[in-house]
Amino acid sequence: MVDKIQKILVVDDERLNINVLVELLKPSYKMMAAINGQQAIKAANSNSPPDLILLDIMMPEMDGYEVCKQLKNDPKTKDIPIIFVTAMGQEESEAKGLDLGAADYLTKPISPAIVEARVKTQLALKQRHEELKSAYKIIEEQKKRMQNELDVGREIQLAMVPSIFPASHMYNIYASLEPAREVGGDFYDVFNIDEEHVCFCVGDVSGKGVPAALFMAMAKTLIKSRASNDPSTASIVTHVNDELSQDNEGCLFVTLFVCILNTLTGKVLTTNAGHNPPILRRANGVIELLKRLDGPVVAAIEGFAYKEGFVQLNKGDSLLIFTDGVTEADTAHGEFYGDPRLVSLFENTENRSPKQMVEQILSDVHEFEGQGRQADDITVMVLDYLGEMQSEQDKTISFQVTNALNEIEKVVDLFDEFATNNKVNQKVKSTISMALDDLLTNVVSYGYNDEQQHKIGVRISVVESSIVVVITDDGMPFNPFQMENPNTKASIEERDMGGLGIHLVKKMFDHVAYHRNIEKNVVTLVKQFTAK
Amino acid sequence: MSMETKKEQGVFVISPIGRLDTNTSPDAERLIVEAIDSGEKNVVMDYTSTEYISSAGLRVVLKTAKLLKPKGGVIVVCNGNEQITEVFEISGFSGMVASFNSLEEAVSSLN
Repeated sequence: MVDKIQKILVVDDERLNINVLVELLKPSYKMMAAINGQQAIKAANSNSPPDLILLDIMMPEMDGYEVCKQLKNDPKTKDIPIIFVTAMGQEESEAKGLDLGAADYLTKPISPAIVEARVKTQLALKQRHEELKSAYKIIEEQKKRMQNELDVGREIQLAMVPSIFPASHMYNIYASLEPAREVGGDFYDVFNIDEEHVCFCVGDVSGKGVPAALFMAMAKTLIKSRASNDPSTASIVTHVNDELSQDNEGCLFVTLFVCILNTLTGKVLTTNAGHNPPILRRANGVIELLKRLDGPVVAAIEGFAYKEGFVQLNKGDSLLIFTDGVTEADTAHGEFYGDPRLVSLFENTENRSPKQMVEQILSDVHEFEGQGRQADDITVMVLDYLGEMQSEQDKTISFQVTNALNEIEKVVDLFDEFATNNKVNQKVKSTISMALDDLLTNVVSYGYNDEQQHKIGVRISVVESSIVVVITDDGMPFNPFQMENPNTKASIEERDMGGLGIHLVKKMFDHVAYHRNIEKNVVTLVKQFTAK
Repeated sequence: MSMETKKEQGVFVISPIGRLDTNTSPDAERLIVEAIDSGEKNVVMDYTSTEYISSAGLRVVLKTAKLLKPKGGVIVVCNGNEQITEVFEISGFSGMVASFNSLEEAVSSLN
């Protein structure tokens, strides 16, 4: 930009005037000339436009004002600075010229020193203006790129956290994550380890955008894969910490609270790595803060051996795990939401599901913050422990069948007897029989791509006024509830049977859930019933 | 599980006894196809003694409807219990196949 010789266009109907200016400025600039308005406009619009125009006002046909007006109205030429050069010299004309967008004004007879100085000033100004413009463009592009990166990060984040939760008659769990506009890196996970154990965790990664999202994805994957064969939360977190500490060039870290619940006994193993204390509400309403800390944030100190603690949950106890986006939510006046407000909300709510509790907390936080704020991700997870040891054996049946269609008859026979013993009404009994037939037919017919014999597990329990059915198979990973709904409005000719069985099950049960356990598909159905 | 078939005022009636599901539907289907092959134009499926139907039971109804349509015939159903009624509604079959509260009404709709 600096080395380029700049071009100046002189516009005057008098050749003599043109020559004076051209001779004066020729040593420093490339000179062009036009003898009327049309030529000037044409030159300004050419492929090699001038960097500055010296424009006479008094010209026949089109005067300088008109030329100036036209050039300033055209986006292509409006940035070329124009200096009026004229004999008139009255203040009025000067004001008119400047009004039209001229950069400066010279009166004849001209003084060479003044012309040179004014021209130089205008060209320098123009150059600064162009530099500013391109800098602004770069900033805009950079801003857009950063926003894109944040959007991608958020998408990865939301795709990683589950929205379907395992269900059991022993516990009920729900979680929700609301990403902030910019900062963020929260995640959670809930998955079954085996028939009795469920692992759940909440974490908060430092940083934002794609790097934080990828770090979060790594942390989550490491926890899940390690938990599949490691019963200790201390050992899981120690392993995850070692993996994440290596090659951690971005110096990211993550706070983690990892739990493994034994669903039958209510015993929860916990490891807290730098995470804010979860809150436990006992069935009698007493609040306990789980202040125990088992080590620093994960990915900070390689080789650190984390510890673990345990909490005994009893029937009716409820555990609330959250990220600091909840308690550090603030209003426009700088007040924080804070632990006390969260504790009192959690303490004073009874007879609600984990989902309702989570939603209530989120809406209370939003109400507190006021509109359009939320500086950080907000994650809330609530676990209700419902169970006590199953004392009445006949309230649960559990058995295995092989992958053959005629085995389904056996399943429905066993269920029939169970339903009769537990006084299940006819409609619910028929609905569950239908579901067993449809789901097992699918597994047997489409679940396996080998000729081997496989075992399919069926567990049916009565929990208060609900029946819970859990079907477990080691077939190919398949979530039946993600199938598209069939077109139930089609005519006889257009109609096919695809997906109809699953559709019936989805619609006729109070709750359906799928999750992929280790190497296994687990489908859970819940149907309320009223005893006869 | 068994299937009863009879003629009621000249109309073919099939009554599944017990479950109408993956393992029993093929029987129903075979009996209906035989009846259509021997010239039956309409079919009544009487659910009086049917405990439940799964999508396999619906498949038989759809297959029958598709076979009869080109011959100008129809299948109608009757006496479904609560579960069967709900299945017909949710699946959209209630808009495709006429349903009656008694065998008499079902048969007379075809005569």
